Amino acid sequence: MGIASGAIGSFIILKRMALVGDALSHVALPGIALALFYAIDPFWGVLIFLSAAAVIVWWLEGRTTLPSDALVGLLFTTSLAIGVLTIPDEELIESLFGGFPALSPFAFSVTAGLALASGGITIGLARQFVFRTMTPDLAQVHGVGRWFDLFLFLLFALIVSLGIKLVGTLLMGALTIIPASIAKNFGKSMKGYLALSSLVGGLISVVGLLIAHTFVFLPGPSIILFGVGLFLISLVLPRSARRSMLKLTLLKFR
Amino acid sequence: MEQDSVLDVRDCAVVLDGQTLLSGVSFKVRKGEALAVIGPNGAGKTILFKALLGLVPFRGTIEWGEALRIGYVPQKFPVDKTVPLTVCEFFLLKAKRFWSPDETFLEHLSHELSLVGLSQEILERPVGELSGGQLQRLLIGWAMVDHPEVMLFDEPTAGIDVGFEETVYQLLQRLQKERNTTILLISHELNIVYRYADQVVCLNREMLCRGKPHEVLHPQDLARLFGESGFYKHANEAHQH
Repeated sequence: MGIASGAIGSFIILKRMALVGDALSHVALPGIALALFYAIDPFWGVLIFLSAAAVIVWWLEGRTTLPSDALVGLLFTTSLAIGVLTIPDEELIESLFGGFPALSPFAFSVTAGLALASGGITIGLARQFVFRTMTPDLAQVHGVGRWFDLFLFLLFALIVSLGIKLVGTLLMGALTIIPASIAKNFGKSMKGYLALSSLVGGLISVVGLLIAHTFVFLPGPSIILFGVGLFLISLVLPRSARRSMLKLTLLKFR
Repeated sequence: MEQDSVLDVRDCAVVLDGQTLLSGVSFKVRKGEALAVIGPNGAGKTILFKALLGLVPFRGTIEWGEALRIGYVPQKFPVDKTVPLTVCEFFLLKAKRFWSPDETFLEHLSHELSLVGLSQEILERPVGELSGGQLQRLLIGWAMVDHPEVMLFDEPTAGIDVGFEETVYQLLQRLQKERNTTILLISHELNIVYRYADQVVCLNREMLCRGKPHEVLHPQDLARLFGESGFYKHANEAHQH
């Protein structure tokens, strides 16, 4: 799950859409409320709402005359308000911050499998996603059209839907942003950046969970705070140390 | 479409947000020809290229020859300096395999780089650290790396030193001769148009002239196109050289 978040987050950061991505993840709340109301797995409610939001953000992005960030902000606050009003109090904290529920072996395999697959697709389509991000016009000329942007957002929606049970809606956005922010402090090459972001996503998730388990904390905030700690360390590390760490990562992906 | 025709544009118009940026543009380009598009700032030259590339909606007909590869060197290429992307990776965006590229592709890269005067060492450098001149060379190298049949250059020498300017135009000629590349070029420099272009299209929101440079670029046409400016006088002098 962490690896997939790191992989998709690296593109959200490159597109300078960290806040849009964050807002998108909060759109999940009304989805959770609806799922609770109909007594179905919240994952489906979240997935439907997020996918719809992803399409809206993509559509807005193509219409530059509209202030898309303001509209996304509106979408987010509206969703948050609806979510807070409609989700029962006892479920609200878990929806916001995650509860890491005990999953059945089947549910666990499906979640892990989907996370792995979406992470794999993200890395597999890296060329197209980077192309679109760096230079949309040239990408279009070479057959990499706007549909890839939509596909990236939908992958983001799927990964966020999967991760929300783990860290909650408020922190899921952060789980996609933090690994990429750390990786960006190291990398001068795209391959190194993408690989490192995925690895860091996996690392902070596992270590964060161990911390939560040891000290009986909520898993979401533990993962995020550990990630932020690593980010601060990556900021103060001297450039030479960052370079040698990156070389180690790159060796594996040459 | 005629057999040796590469591009056929008929009554092309571009209207964006209710504003007519271009209208009544028609021309044909044959294989291996060099066509120059000239006109003052805001005349719709770049918009015409974008319409040709399908990047903006247009009215009329734009018909390309079948299965053509097109290389495009844009006028502006804003690079986010913080994006971690090496020159080699920038080229790999055009390769089939991004993560594990073919050795032959990498060897071919070095050759194409040398044509635009860049050394192999630049491959490992981040794109964001390149100077303006290096970036322009890179863009030209990038556009021609897969040997496209047609290349569109939007003011390829804007913002680069005079020495390289000459190299760029020699390169255009070489592409035409050795690879029979069809070239479409936007240029502000009329002496270049006289020297290198087989055909010229003059634009100022609409098409004002079309034909061989020496036949259609009369002083009165240029005056109509650019106004009685210093630019026109300069162009006129260049013509008399």
